[in-house]
Amino acid sequence: MVSSGPLVLACAVAALAWLALSLLVVVGRVGHDLRRRPRDGPAITPRRARALRRRARLHRTEAGRWRRISALVELARAGHPTARHHLYRRALRSGDVDIGDAAVRALGLLAPTHGWALDLLIEALEEDLAPRSRIAAQLDRLAPAPGWRLRALLSDERPIVRYWGAMLLARYPTLAVDRLRRLVGDPDPAVRRAALETLGAHGDREALAAVLGCLDDEVMFVRAHACRAAGRLGGLAIVPRLLPLLADEEWWVREATKQTLRAAGEGVASFLVPVLEWGDRFARNGAAEVLQDLGVVDRLMREQPGDPLLERILAAGELRLRAAAETRVGLVDATGDRDALAGREAA
Amino acid sequence: MSAQHVLFAAVLVCAGYLCLVYVSYLVLIVVGLVESLVRRSEARTHDYELLAESRFTIPVSVILAAYNEEPAVSTAVRSLLAQEYVELEVIVVNDGSTDGTLERLVKDFALEPVELFPRRIIEAAEVRAYYRSADVPHLLVIDKENGGKADALNAGINLARYRYVCGVDADTIFSPDALLRGMRLVMSDPAGIVGVTAHVAIARDPSGAMTAPHGRRPVDLSPLLAYQHLDYLRAFFNNRVAWTRLNFMLCAIGAFQIWRRDLLEELGGFAQGFTCEDIELTFRVHETMRREGRPYRVLCLPDSVGITEGPDTVRKLVAQRERWQRVIVETVWAYRRMAFRPRYGSVGIVGVPYYVLSEVLAPVFEVFTLVTLAAASVLGLFDWQVFLLVTGVITFVNAAMTAAAVLSEDLHSRAYGVRWLVWLLVLAPLDLVLYRPVMFWARAKGTWRFLRRDQGWHKFERNQRAESAA
Repeated sequence: MVSSGPLVLACAVAALAWLALSLLVVVGRVGHDLRRRPRDGPAITPRRARALRRRARLHRTEAGRWRRISALVELARAGHPTARHHLYRRALRSGDVDIGDAAVRALGLLAPTHGWALDLLIEALEEDLAPRSRIAAQLDRLAPAPGWRLRALLSDERPIVRYWGAMLLARYPTLAVDRLRRLVGDPDPAVRRAALETLGAHGDREALAAVLGCLDDEVMFVRAHACRAAGRLGGLAIVPRLLPLLADEEWWVREATKQTLRAAGEGVASFLVPVLEWGDRFARNGAAEVLQDLGVVDRLMREQPGDPLLERILAAGELRLRAAAETRVGLVDATGDRDALAGREAA
Repeated sequence: MSAQHVLFAAVLVCAGYLCLVYVSYLVLIVVGLVESLVRRSEARTHDYELLAESRFTIPVSVILAAYNEEPAVSTAVRSLLAQEYVELEVIVVNDGSTDGTLERLVKDFALEPVELFPRRIIEAAEVRAYYRSADVPHLLVIDKENGGKADALNAGINLARYRYVCGVDADTIFSPDALLRGMRLVMSDPAGIVGVTAHVAIARDPSGAMTAPHGRRPVDLSPLLAYQHLDYLRAFFNNRVAWTRLNFMLCAIGAFQIWRRDLLEELGGFAQGFTCEDIELTFRVHETMRREGRPYRVLCLPDSVGITEGPDTVRKLVAQRERWQRVIVETVWAYRRMAFRPRYGSVGIVGVPYYVLSEVLAPVFEVFTLVTLAAASVLGLFDWQVFLLVTGVITFVNAAMTAAAVLSEDLHSRAYGVRWLVWLLVLAPLDLVLYRPVMFWARAKGTWRFLRRDQGWHKFERNQRAESAA
């Protein structure tokens, strides 16, 4: 026979564990609700500042690590004078992703009032001391303060630094157009892409010439960005240069081209008409899709249903483009049934 | 050897199994609590405002697969369109619904049919039409032939333009910061993090629960829904969150699964040969990355990102859970080669064996334990007092584990009102009597259906909702 003594003990322990945890949940929650205070409390007292500074300096345990992270942000949030350069530099160089991340956030808070914080952010971006996209987000928010400091990034020997430099300069229309034009020919495709994106936002006629040179770049995403940038800088005048990209072997490039043509407005329609007869099916489909999106198909269907141009577009767009257009203008119902629609209309 | 000896041996095997499972649960609870606290500290230091507005925040393509979801789909889509996220596209795939799902979407979002020419990198059933809305340019609806959820998600991937894809369910309503929470860690390590999932709560009517103020969110009074809520809490906080810390997060849930698109394309998208797509894909990601020695992480965050609809009758619940059990067994069987293989690291050494122990063998042992204990008592091997004490131990161990999950969730989110927390904690010890039998039945049925190679969807009928919610 099995003795029931150990079982009684096990049962009691389990029941007590449930009770204790339940009490912890309820008491902890009630305490939390009572403690809740608005975030903007009084300024940090000198004693608290000393404690935060001590915590922010280094950590030994996992709990200490999180206290360090909180302290870094709290000091910066309060803009306390003890939030000093060496504290954040040390955090950035700790090699810990979370601490580095917290330092970046803190520096973003400090940068509007402390020049050294801005310098540290740029140093962190250059030396990969924290996730670069996070640092870039902070620097982007601080515009226009970083301004000329970012220009130096464009001539860095590391492609990733040039890339971020080019991306961040999108906020500064006139700061480094010359250098960005040169970067369009950079050996690194990511740098070329970033330069194209920024030039597309703020470039000039000279920049357009550099951008057009990238339309036949060997790297797919460079071609796609070149297409978008060219569309923004050149308007309708460069549309003939973009049309061959409707036949590009990469879907991404074809999508970027269609997007650019749509953005150029109804004026592109006359350029697209010859494409409807091209031998390449991607190009024919793409031209028909853009004409559909610009409303040309619907207008012709309503106003000039027998127009040969309409038939050419519908032929290039194939069966489903026709069906979709007929549904939109109300020639058929959603299931493609003309008779059903006619019957409903008569009723 | 007498029958009594055999029975005694069986009781010892069951006791051994229970001890092993409870010890592993205990370890996971402690690990899960630590992970949850770490994530809580981390979430406090994140700058959500900056992430929400920065042009360097990674854009996401959200894909919602819908099959016969007419009452729920528009609310789910609205919650996705209301995300506080700088750049996203929402792709809704109507997987050949036979109800009015498509018509509801057309009406609610003023959709018009258009023709698109997407790439076809992953095979999917024939697309019937594409729809766009003039009012909501980042919404695209695909109407396709029925092919199952995996097929619908694959059709969405063919049109996804962004670097990360988030697969979601049509019966779930998302909080406005769901994507931001899901993507916050990805932005620290986009090269390493290939998959993210997060906690999803449960309610009979998700839209009603979502509108309640934070800190006072209710839990359904119905014990059936409340037990499902507890089940979700245990699954997330005592398991998935702990698995994340131990680097073998084996189930990114279908209701909210973020994946790096290039990896999905490389793996050929979601697999169609399984009852459900989510667990299988997670296993496949682990299998591929570990086999090829590539660095990667799949995370489950303790953040609650939405509320999904739970079955409100036992019949619907059994249909849902037997399907889950089936897919677990299917997946573990398909990837059995990973078990105990050092090349698969913690996934092979701990993750897969744990899955076998706690999920695949559980229904067999749960029934076996009760039958042997009862038989041993009837045959006089034990007296009834022992039987009752063992039942008491199981009851309170389960209740304590549930309370630990409630504690983890509340420490992280502080979402539910105190009286609702008390309601959950009071229900916990009755779980063995009121809820487990239903689970035993559903899991046994699921295992049986796996053995019979049944791969039907057996989707549960949606709950009746208030008209305003629909």
